Amino acid sequence: MNQKLKINKLYTLSSEKKKFVFNLPLKSSIRIGKRNYPVQLKSDEKFGPYILWKNRKYPVEIVRSRQNRYEILFNDISYTFTVETPFSMQRMKVLDSGKVKSGQETVKAPMPGKIIDVLVREGSAVLRGEPVVILEAMKMQNEIQSPVSGTVIKISAKPNTTVMKDDVLAEIKID
Amino acid sequence: MKIKKILIANRGEIAVRIMSTARKMNILTVAVKTSAEPNAMYLSHADEIFDNTESESEIPVFLDIEKLISIALETASDALHPGYGFLAENAYFAQKCLDNGIIFIGPSPDAIYKMGNKTIARKLALKSDIPMAMGSEGNIANAEEAVSIAEKIGYPVIIKAASGGGGRGMRIVRKAEEMEKMFSIASKEAEIAFNDPSVFIEKYIENPKHIEFQILGDKHGNIIHLGERECSIQRKHQKLLEEAPSCALDPALRKKMGQMAVKIAKAVDYYSAGTVEYLLDSDRNFYFMEMNTRIQVEHPVTEIITGIDLIEQQIKIANGEKLSLSQDHVKLKGWAIECRINAEDVQAGFAPDPGKIEKLSLPSDKYIRIDTGIKEGSTIVSSYDSMIAKLIVSGRDRKEAIKNCKMALDKVWIKGTKTTLPFFRLLVRNHKFQEGSFTTAFIEKDLDRYYYNSEYEEMLAAWFTTKLFVEENLQDKNQGSDNGLKEEMSPWLLNKRITQF
Repeated sequence: MNQKLKINKLYTLSSEKKKFVFNLPLKSSIRIGKRNYPVQLKSDEKFGPYILWKNRKYPVEIVRSRQNRYEILFNDISYTFTVETPFSMQRMKVLDSGKVKSGQETVKAPMPGKIIDVLVREGSAVLRGEPVVILEAMKMQNEIQSPVSGTVIKISAKPNTTVMKDDVLAEIKID
Repeated sequence: MKIKKILIANRGEIAVRIMSTARKMNILTVAVKTSAEPNAMYLSHADEIFDNTESESEIPVFLDIEKLISIALETASDALHPGYGFLAENAYFAQKCLDNGIIFIGPSPDAIYKMGNKTIARKLALKSDIPMAMGSEGNIANAEEAVSIAEKIGYPVIIKAASGGGGRGMRIVRKAEEMEKMFSIASKEAEIAFNDPSVFIEKYIENPKHIEFQILGDKHGNIIHLGERECSIQRKHQKLLEEAPSCALDPALRKKMGQMAVKIAKAVDYYSAGTVEYLLDSDRNFYFMEMNTRIQVEHPVTEIITGIDLIEQQIKIANGEKLSLSQDHVKLKGWAIECRINAEDVQAGFAPDPGKIEKLSLPSDKYIRIDTGIKEGSTIVSSYDSMIAKLIVSGRDRKEAIKNCKMALDKVWIKGTKTTLPFFRLLVRNHKFQEGSFTTAFIEKDLDRYYYNSEYEEMLAAWFTTKLFVEENLQDKNQGSDNGLKEEMSPWLLNKRITQF
């Protein structure tokens, strides 16, 4: 079965769960209010790849990608997106419906790097701001702190493994 | 005595900066080529290159006193400019230069030593009646002594390393119970960083402004000041943006602080360019902090508002010439702002982000000055600092300088590493910054994020990501491109596959 025939749109999700919907085939314009503004991906010798939008060039770079997940630079700022098809979106919703519970918070990697140490155990009580994981990035050791006070219910971070930006390191049940 | 050839004991933008003035003065320059950066831009500005790439020394050459002296002698350099950092404030190095008949372009070894030791500097300042935060007479021996002094001067207090600088070996103590722990941390940190565990304490000034005065002195006892620089925009004691003048000063306060700066410099018979650093509290009381006995990173903002080339002055003074200016001749005109564009990730706590500069395009205009040691294809190496360029923007007044800065920031194009550009784009749009009412606590306390993106940038980024996904997954690879972009994109898509994991 040729799946691509059925895909009529893509959902591009930011790490803050913002959803951008793009119809396929992908248009070279973006609608804002009632107007369509042309947007182009270009590349030349002087600037390298860039986006042209409203007569201004914005530098773009790909930092890394894994399957449908991309970390890119747009105008010197990093963004992490996952691109979902209607099928994968549907599947995600089903999976998520059993998973996301209120009163829970996740500890995420703020930057890609290597896990040096995990400072808590499943079942440990943590306070807001307490370091949970030591993440090494760019030769600096960073304490990744719990965003909330609560109990650690799951630890996904393993020492000596690498993680991408926004990978979940631990899950905390809020007190 | 006349300087004909200068060995530049430094690298990067400051090496380029010194060489450009030397050229203007018809003085030859020697640069040192290192294995860390054999293709660095500063090398192309030198008249002569000393090749040190074969060196097997563990010590970087710019920190190797014996080696630098031998290079100076071998290349027949009659003078040496240390730039900033490395050995610029090492009294022993300055003395070694003099002992070998090499003119050290900087102050006397004695002045470097006295100002480098904070307890000696404090005593000198006390003797000269320079306003200072209350504190210990000299170094303190233990936490008990620190507590007894703190009780006299009142909390909070700050423990500082006697040989320190740059924020290391400093701890703020807000109550007696914390003293023992903080004393031991500060002392250990000082020992590791400066090879000297001695510390002293001072009353901690809450939320001050960091204001520094540029001074110039000659070997004939003449000392003047060139006004102030506002350096309160700093993070963990690292300056990010500096401006001159400061909107916190009026002519009367400027005169008073300037006179005091000259006075403290006179206490050590200072010559060459130097900087007197003060803290200014919310009641406009100022306190002497320290004196830096070198050219500073942020010297260009002073050059712009005074029209004086500070490197030229340093060389002339080293040559034994008298200052051609008197205090009355110094006029401050206009406003200048310097942004330190570093290879740092502002979204990850300003962590250094070394790497190759793939694309570089810097703006040029009458209100823009760029000091850089980087060109396209250069690599920011982790062994040195992360500076890419200093963007120095001027205007008739502060408002115009900020407006020009905002425009200039959008014209800087750097690819290959993340940079501090998004931070400055945020800063120039921040109300408190525009107003000028910020203090050294600004970045930590007044900002909830460290970068700026305009309204539609995230959406455009999403569109770009979607475009990549479509190109990679949904297009029939055999049919080639239907939008004419495939060809152009292939090299960097390939590059991406290499970095894939």
